[in-house]
Amino acid sequence: MEAEQAASPHKRIRIDFAQRRRLLAVLGGNHVNYCYQCGACVGDCPTTRFFPSFNPREIMLTALLGDLGTLLAPGSVIWKCSNCYNCYERCPQDVRPVEVIIALKNLAREEGTHPEEAQTIYETILKTGRSAPVIASLKRKRESMGLPPLPAIDMGELRAVLAPEDPPPGDSPPSSTAESES
Amino acid sequence: MKPIKAIFFPGCLIPIKYPQMEVAIRRTLPNLGVEIIDLEGFSCCPDPIYFQAADKIAWLTLAARNLALAEEAGHDIFTVCSGCTGTLSEANHLLRNDEQLRERVNRRLARVGRKYQGSIAVRHIVVLLREKVGIDRVRESVTRPLTGVRVALHYGCHLLKPSSIMQVDDPDDPQILHQLIEAIGAEPVTHDERFLCCGKACIDPDLPLDMTASVLRSVRKSGADCMGMICPTCFSSFDTGQLLLNRKTKEHFEVPPVYFFQLLGLAQGFSADEVGLTRHRIKPTAVLEKIKA
Repeated sequence: MEAEQAASPHKRIRIDFAQRRRLLAVLGGNHVNYCYQCGACVGDCPTTRFFPSFNPREIMLTALLGDLGTLLAPGSVIWKCSNCYNCYERCPQDVRPVEVIIALKNLAREEGTHPEEAQTIYETILKTGRSAPVIASLKRKRESMGLPPLPAIDMGELRAVLAPEDPPPGDSPPSSTAESES
Repeated sequence: MKPIKAIFFPGCLIPIKYPQMEVAIRRTLPNLGVEIIDLEGFSCCPDPIYFQAADKIAWLTLAARNLALAEEAGHDIFTVCSGCTGTLSEANHLLRNDEQLRERVNRRLARVGRKYQGSIAVRHIVVLLREKVGIDRVRESVTRPLTGVRVALHYGCHLLKPSSIMQVDDPDDPQILHQLIEAIGAEPVTHDERFLCCGKACIDPDLPLDMTASVLRSVRKSGADCMGMICPTCFSSFDTGQLLLNRKTKEHFEVPPVYFFQLLGLAQGFSADEVGLTRHRIKPTAVLEKIKA
């Protein structure tokens, strides 16, 4: 009897739907539901080629199961994605795996589990409006090359635009049922 | 002929880290009838890798602000970096097609009296050349064809993909750089790893260098005189990345990466110095010898 059960092909799978809904609520995360696990994304993934334990099909499966704990843990493989968009190109189901991975990264930042390397450029942009630091000698260098000075960026305007979102007009207090459930 | 007016979206890497590429752009475009409009106020596109990974809605919002500035000025944008091209094209695509998202982003822009409308096009500079200038006019601007110069093409990822949004070329058989390289009299060299990502965005100690090394080995095998590229991020992989590889491994790569507009500049008769090639750490000596520049 026991042996029969062990040989049964019907393995019980648990899906954490509350966790999966968290991902679906992030822009770009919702297409994961179209994934039928064909693996077209894997064959053309440069990261998989050089680092086989990064497997976009497995990442999509883990996301479908709602196992965000694995995907959002510090040191998660999602950060090894090359952002080449080959999977977006190949996917017959329009899952856009790279977009799902980006949505997962957005969640990882909310949880503070993103790697330090992902922080520097983001912070430089928040501070200066540009992704590369401007060193003092650049002004002279550009001048000597006959280039105009770098235009100024109104950081006050950038900060105002980047301040947290307001609730949509006519909306009663922000409803965040999706978040509070999980 | 009427000048082709377009707003220059310089991005960050070229004006800050590789101003020699900006020099080449500013020298060569006037010879193609393009009038460059410099606009005040653009921020980073923002960065499609880390900024998007941090907060996609904020990423779209800053991109929409940049697009709104160009819309106010009333001209299309040309970009000179594949990353900027990807960010601004995707933002334009998403915001044009998703009204809710557009309103959400515009609520934030309204704080500073701006509004994204979706009224302008974003083109990478090579697309501007193909669509607005014409390949023939590029050919006609050549006074010193790069005869015999073999250029290994590196399209990079974000000019072409996702093709449903970018709509530049078939990502499995792109032609745009081939046409431009041929227009300046050089020979485009397709090599085995021409579609491999440069690896720059992988957060890993080895992956970026593994990918870069594979491309460099393939270019070396092809016997090309230099690499031709259109993205400053790819350039840094094959410049700084190559020097790093040479320190860490026994490869001894000597593959000069060159931005396409520097090659165009040479073909238009500018000296290596005038297009900033003398500032490169891996100098395209074979190219300069072949054309006696």
